[in-house]
Amino acid sequence: VHTFPRPQEPHLSVEREPVDGACPECGAQALAAYRVLGEGGLWDVVKCQQCLASVTRERAPRLGSLTPLGLTIR
Amino acid sequence: MIGVDVGGTFTDVVAVRDGQLTVTKVPSDAAQPAAAVIEGARRIGVEGSAVFNHASTMGLNAVITRRLPKVAFLTTEGHRDILDRGTLRRPLDGQTDPSWRRPFGDAARPLVPRYLRRGIVERTLADGSELRALDEAQARRQLAVLRRCAVEGVAICLLNAYVDATHERRLRELVHEELGADVAVSISSETSPLAKEYARASTTVVDVFMKLIFGRYSAQLDEELRALGFAGDLHFADCAATLLPWREALEKPFRIVFAGPAAGTISSTRLGAALGTGNLLCADVGGTSTDVSLVVDGAPFVNNTFEIEHDVVINALSTEVSSVGAGGGSIVSISPSGDIRVGPESAGADPGPACYGRGGEQPTLTDACLLMGILDPGGFAGGEMALDPELARRAFAALDTPLSFEQRVAFAYRIAVANIAEEVMNVAVRHGVDPRDFSLVAYGAAGPMLLPAALELLHVARVIVPPQPGLFSAMGLLSTDLVHYESRSAYVLLMPDAAADVEERYKEMEQALRARVDANGATIRRSLDGRLLGQSWETPFVEVGDGAITAETMPALVERFHDAYERRYGNRFPYVPVQGVTYRVELVVGADKLEYAEVAAAPDPEPAGTLELRYLDDEPLQASVYDRDALGLGATIRGPAIVREPLSTTVVMPGQTAAVGRFGEIVIEAQP
Repeated sequence: VHTFPRPQEPHLSVEREPVDGACPECGAQALAAYRVLGEGGLWDVVKCQQCLASVTRERAPRLGSLTPLGLTIR
Repeated sequence: MIGVDVGGTFTDVVAVRDGQLTVTKVPSDAAQPAAAVIEGARRIGVEGSAVFNHASTMGLNAVITRRLPKVAFLTTEGHRDILDRGTLRRPLDGQTDPSWRRPFGDAARPLVPRYLRRGIVERTLADGSELRALDEAQARRQLAVLRRCAVEGVAICLLNAYVDATHERRLRELVHEELGADVAVSISSETSPLAKEYARASTTVVDVFMKLIFGRYSAQLDEELRALGFAGDLHFADCAATLLPWREALEKPFRIVFAGPAAGTISSTRLGAALGTGNLLCADVGGTSTDVSLVVDGAPFVNNTFEIEHDVVINALSTEVSSVGAGGGSIVSISPSGDIRVGPESAGADPGPACYGRGGEQPTLTDACLLMGILDPGGFAGGEMALDPELARRAFAALDTPLSFEQRVAFAYRIAVANIAEEVMNVAVRHGVDPRDFSLVAYGAAGPMLLPAALELLHVARVIVPPQPGLFSAMGLLSTDLVHYESRSAYVLLMPDAAADVEERYKEMEQALRARVDANGATIRRSLDGRLLGQSWETPFVEVGDGAITAETMPALVERFHDAYERRYGNRFPYVPVQGVTYRVELVVGADKLEYAEVAAAPDPEPAGTLELRYLDDEPLQASVYDRDALGLGATIRGPAIVREPLSTTVVMPGQTAAVGRFGEIVIEAQP
């Protein structure tokens, strides 16, 4: 059985990976890749951290990081 | 007088000089919309014309296809997703479909992408008092982002701004300071100062789009018309096909977003008045769709809001027009269950129907009519275009169905007619009218070749094919008045003690209208949208009357509301208090109108020939062919027959009689 320590951060948020390149909308060098939940489910996006324009937006697995055991059994 | 109707496929130009009607049709150019209008104006000649009345669905098409300028939306912090949420209504086919998404939502095609929708820290309460001051520093930070994103326009809609516009006006100043004086800005308190923030927001967003789309276009059009020698007034038609001087139209251009279809209704109303018939079902059959509208007792059915697409609401006076995806270019296909389907997809103008020979391979309704013998292969579009029956034949032969060739063509025609008849019947039922008391006006280039066949399905009294049916909508632009209007919202219980308050609102609006319009000879019309206390929807266009509203006249006003409510919904609740919501003043300036010329009597028409009308019956029918220009008053034709004119073809079905009226209209009735 896994146990997890109590988080130390006051707020939890998904980690944002910096991405090279400039935002095509505002020109800022502030792109980051992360997962968001919006209308239509979970999405893996690259967004500008200054203007929040989505540079790419691809559908993430339907249940996010959770993989049901049934799907892992072959 | 010149009227121009810019459609998706053709730009129709109609001119009246000394009572003579001149017409031309120019292919529309989506990339350079003004070019087709100028070409039409050049062909027809604009020198000496007093007015140039213009209607276009260019703005509507831009919204539907999302070919839109980059625009931002500013609203009260925490409310930026009102544009995404809409009114929360789902259409019928979305109610049982969990994957349904709003077509204008972020997951689909938003009008304004979410990163350009910014919340501003401020809050005005519903009574107009300030809960939170406008945080100018925060607003400037948001505007700095918009500046970097190079937006071309900004729509501003703050909560309750229709009650107090102070924050919106200040925010507009900040936009100009941060983004430049030339950035287009619309604020909801001026664009549409009405209650209900979503409709106000979507109207304001569309308004700023239209400012950008029509701004450059109008200036170019005006300049080039002047260069052609035009010295009159350029007017734009609005969604109810009333006219506005173009510079005034550009102050609130959301009003002209949907200008084309209403003009046909106005034209029908005008023709109906000339013929002495006020009850009309109007069907405009174009290349892609059929627009159906209703005229009762000589008045078109006008609404105070309309939807550009599902839930994209515009607060504009508009003639109610319902559309069905059946027109001359509608594609004939085989459904997954194996039956013939017509539309809603259309071959449009490019590549167009298969018989155009421009690369279209799918059969269309035009191909079916060509194969049936209704359309003349050498005389289409005034002889400017030759049709190839062999290409039409191949397209139908290629359909993947066990049906015989004859059945494919016959079913395509009959299904298209049934689709249109169903929509006409829906409009009649929705408004509680009996089609047997109504005449069906058949116009649009494809109307007269389809709608007579709907006579036996609809049981309308008669089908009227007006003169110049292919240009009938454009003629509506020469049959309408200039109407300037103002409206305001306030929830007021219509009791005697509120009379002074309501009267004051009307006076303010009248003064504002008179300040900007030369009102000599104009008529003032007051109306209100009200509701029974507790309702969340309004009954629009309650006539207020001419005199001042006083404590003594207030009961009569409430009574008029109950009358209007009963006419619209069939019920009367005289003991429920009435609440006024929107107050409207219209200033109507009369304009010169098209007068239909009477045709000479010619009771015994001679057919120009005969042809074989195929697929209407088991055996081909021999039909007489008439030239419409040769038909005069009193001419009577028994079906089956074809009446040809340069831009349209009328079919008189077996068992029908067509009679020519005094303005050249063809009245088709079932033979007794």
